[in-house]
Amino acid sequence: MTTASTPPKEPEDPRPSMGPVQRPRKLGRWMLFVVMMIVAVIMLYPFWVMIYTSLKSEAQFLAGSGFSWISWSSLTSVIPIGQEVLSSTIVCAASILLILIVGLPAGFAFSKLRFRLSTGIFLVMVSAMMVPLQAILMTEYVNVSRLHLTGGYTAAVLVYAALGTPFSVFLFSTYFRGVPDELIEAGIVDGLGYVGVLWRLVVPIALPAIATVTVLQFIQIWDDLLVGLFFIQNTSDRPITVGLAVLAAGRTTSIPELMAGSIISALPAMLVYVGFQRYLVKGLTMGIDR
Amino acid sequence: MADITFDGVTKIFADKIRAVDELSLHVADGEFMVLVGPSGCGKTTALRMLAGLEDITSGSLSIGGAVVNNVLPKDRDVAMVFQNYALYPHMTVAQNMGFALKIRGLSKSDIAAKVLEAATILRLTDYLDRRPKALSGGQRQRVAMGRAIVRSPQAFLMDEPLSNLDAQLRVEMRLEIARIQRLLGVATVYVTHDQIEAMTMGDRVAVMRGGKLQQVATPQDLYDHPDNDFVAGFVGSPPMNLLRASLESANDGLRVVLGAQRLDVPATYLSSHDLPNADGPGVILGIRPEDVEVLSGDSAGALMTRVERREALGAEILVHLSLVDAKENTAFVVNDEGALVARPTTLVAKMGPRAGVAVGDQLNVRFNVEHLHFFDADSGLSLRIRS
Repeated sequence: MTTASTPPKEPEDPRPSMGPVQRPRKLGRWMLFVVMMIVAVIMLYPFWVMIYTSLKSEAQFLAGSGFSWISWSSLTSVIPIGQEVLSSTIVCAASILLILIVGLPAGFAFSKLRFRLSTGIFLVMVSAMMVPLQAILMTEYVNVSRLHLTGGYTAAVLVYAALGTPFSVFLFSTYFRGVPDELIEAGIVDGLGYVGVLWRLVVPIALPAIATVTVLQFIQIWDDLLVGLFFIQNTSDRPITVGLAVLAAGRTTSIPELMAGSIISALPAMLVYVGFQRYLVKGLTMGIDR
Repeated sequence: MADITFDGVTKIFADKIRAVDELSLHVADGEFMVLVGPSGCGKTTALRMLAGLEDITSGSLSIGGAVVNNVLPKDRDVAMVFQNYALYPHMTVAQNMGFALKIRGLSKSDIAAKVLEAATILRLTDYLDRRPKALSGGQRQRVAMGRAIVRSPQAFLMDEPLSNLDAQLRVEMRLEIARIQRLLGVATVYVTHDQIEAMTMGDRVAVMRGGKLQQVATPQDLYDHPDNDFVAGFVGSPPMNLLRASLESANDGLRVVLGAQRLDVPATYLSSHDLPNADGPGVILGIRPEDVEVLSGDSAGALMTRVERREALGAEILVHLSLVDAKENTAFVVNDEGALVARPTTLVAKMGPRAGVAVGDQLNVRFNVEHLHFFDADSGLSLRIRS
């Protein structure tokens, strides 16, 4: 009897080998990294210029060399920066509060309650997102000046709330559509009314959506110039963006001081964004994984 | 605790769909009533009307003798267990269970005592501080039950509470729910599409189809004496064999004609059933798979069949048979819409696990003549004369 001898099997290499599929994937990741680096440089360069320029005196800026805190220390004497930051904060907080107070119940109603013409009303409301501020600026101004509201913050708060509410209604209704009806029905059978369901069950689980609306509206309102310029007429109430515009429009504008003011103006929005970034992503992608 | 009465309750949705049609049903205090039927039969709508989550189009619905048609859900004093449990995700197990009591303004100590009592019954004491997402499916289901029982409501309403569980857990929870219901003695309306759940859990079972109540009876009565061909085909697994047959006169009685084969109708059926004449429209003959006996050899009165398919289930084999020399397909099932749908094979029989049958074999079968069912060929109603 003859037996054919078979060569002994080589032990398998336990290390993962870089196959033909993995090599292009790694290359792709590197290319992505390079592109992202370029984008980051483009995005961060203005911030670098702002910081770099703000750390010079007017003369050092013109000479192109040197370092000084003078622009920062003289800023408060040039514009009332503290008051302007406070004004921006008040306008932002009041507008966002109003947007949430209207948007939350409206989004809940459009997504969970059955009533006549709900789809039609929802579409009309959401279509207001498409209307740019510039298109209604004059009409709004006429409206609020007839109501004698242009003095303090009221007019700006109302305009910001009117501009932000359609988006918040859209976002909240999208979010609440993902909340199972049974959760709401369980609350109703447990003894809650619709208002109770909204505040005790829906709001606690809608925190990502609330954070999303808050952050997006904060950035938008804090950075806005036009509404503040038009609707806040008392110079003592003007927000930071208007203050900086006034500074920039002066006959002898100090660029380092303007940059220092710009940093103070940009910082809160950046901090809010970084702080709430996690919720923001969650809030904006909601509905996708349901 | 209270009884529940549906009196001619109808629900018509905005799109004119009649989801529940003239439902009249009484659930006694402490009774476990199961509503069962195929998808879209109206069982969940009936339950939601009882909970107050759907308006009633017409008829009256009472709990504990009081009409609740226009009573808000929170004032009906009923507790509901939902299909996906509907636990509040931002609350712990204890908070979930005590939430309804908190709304009612009970003191913290009373709430804690009631929650602990319910958690003990449900074996949940170790999980009271956990959030729902940290629980398994079975534990979530028990929390949903706990949320219902802490309230000591007048009635429990359960909407397919076991359908999200795996098969083994479903069997365990089936027993658990039945145990708790008997322990608490609260009237319970339980909705399911699973007829095994219905048969094993209910004191009585109400079978629905197309919004209409088909029959209400104890599980055994439903199985032994179905009122119509739909109930006969729905209750039991595998379902009852339903064969379209004509009748012909025999020497001193009647014979069922199945294709080219004949089966004598025992004399007892002539008095207990209102059978049509020999030249009448025929009948639907029903026979349960366990009442189809496979014979080893030839025998008088046997039907000749051929094995078309076999399904070995371990403890038994289901053999799908067709009648030899049947000219046309005589067997059918009743689908959700009530239409008769022809079945590819005529008969299903249960055989022992060691039965050596193969596809293509010819088998002689005999029906257990003590358990024949006759239904009207047109209406599908049972021809049994009710005593």
